[in-house]
Amino acid sequence: MDFVLKHYQEGKFDTRKALERFNEAHGVRPQPRRIHFRVWSSVAAAAVVLLGVFLFWNRSQSQWVELTAEASVQEYALPDGTSVTLAEGSVLRYREDEPRQVKMSGKVYFDVARNETVPFEVKAEGAFVRVLGTEFQVVDGESAHVYVAEGKVLFAKSPKAEGVILTQGMSARMDEETNMPVLESEPDANAIAWQRGTFVFDQTPLKEVLDCLSDYYKVSFAATDLDKRLSGEFYTDDLDLIIELIESALDVTVIRR
Amino acid sequence: MESLFHYNYRPLCLYALHYLGNADSAEDVVQESFAALWEKLQEGVAISNRKAYLYMMVRNRCLDQLRRKGIPTESLKPYDTYGIIEDDDAQERSQTEARLWTAIDSLPEKCRQIFLMSKRDGLKYMEIADELGISENTVRNQISKALKILKDGVVKIYSFFFA
Repeated sequence: MDFVLKHYQEGKFDTRKALERFNEAHGVRPQPRRIHFRVWSSVAAAAVVLLGVFLFWNRSQSQWVELTAEASVQEYALPDGTSVTLAEGSVLRYREDEPRQVKMSGKVYFDVARNETVPFEVKAEGAFVRVLGTEFQVVDGESAHVYVAEGKVLFAKSPKAEGVILTQGMSARMDEETNMPVLESEPDANAIAWQRGTFVFDQTPLKEVLDCLSDYYKVSFAATDLDKRLSGEFYTDDLDLIIELIESALDVTVIRR
Repeated sequence: MESLFHYNYRPLCLYALHYLGNADSAEDVVQESFAALWEKLQEGVAISNRKAYLYMMVRNRCLDQLRRKGIPTESLKPYDTYGIIEDDDAQERSQTEARLWTAIDSLPEKCRQIFLMSKRDGLKYMEIADELGISENTVRNQISKALKILKDGVVKIYSFFFA
């Protein structure tokens, strides 16, 4: 504590300013040149002990690269500069000569490097996503879900099917009967909490906060005063701390059941 | 890259600050390290643990700077200039400190001002009261409020973003 206090200056170590400075200095595509979106299929891959990068050959003798995340979330850079974050149990693969055409299962967050001449494509069970320049196409399969953190994406059942365009902050879920994605009226910014490492709440009623935490941690909660509202950003890695903070911030009691 | 920045920028700055003792130099070093990482990624180098890579680059750059200033660094190696500490612990400590820094940021303005005048600048309650034209009691209350907010401090600080 002493060290921090000794050096503390207001406005120093401002992450946002630093990021701006970085983007300016390195021409790192400030938005919307880099686009984030996320797709996951309903396939839950079993957790295995292996980690890392596997190479194998397909029939056409072109080399495939397989990225996996068995035990914990893994972040990788693809050769084209795209960054992918794989949730536990997810797999992503691409042919070495076509790193912008990937296949995946599980849950993957994409931060796609822009390249107007080569589209970026994602295939998952029942889903297909294409990104062209600053435009995207996103497709995912059976009850697939797409959330767009930044940019613009077309989400459809298959490359030729009709779809919906999603932009920043929008999400949709595939309807298995109509094969059309259905827009979600209240997209959940915490859909990507696992990748971002934080939950974000903005005047969110406590009831919704607890629902969100229940989904994430598979625990159920009860609390006094479910109507109180919470704002703030919380790390996902410490549930006890989140509960403590909610209790002290809102002056409520939260019980885990 | 953005999320990497949001998550690690401030802890890395604090990590660098331990070596350099100067906030501006620390920020420069962290910027350079992010830039170096970016270039690597542009070249297509797969770096699976970018966070560890960043810490390594920040440390090396700090040591280079110290060396250029003629400060012997051999004895620093996995340690640093402020207490003797292993690498993993240093990362963890930087994060804890970044949370504390963020928590201080998040104090109500008046409360933070009074808190810093007392704890950082070492002013007495009476001096703060005089300077701000408030009662000593208010000073005391504001400081205890700040401490209460920061209380769980060193280990479990409010986990807001390092904005």
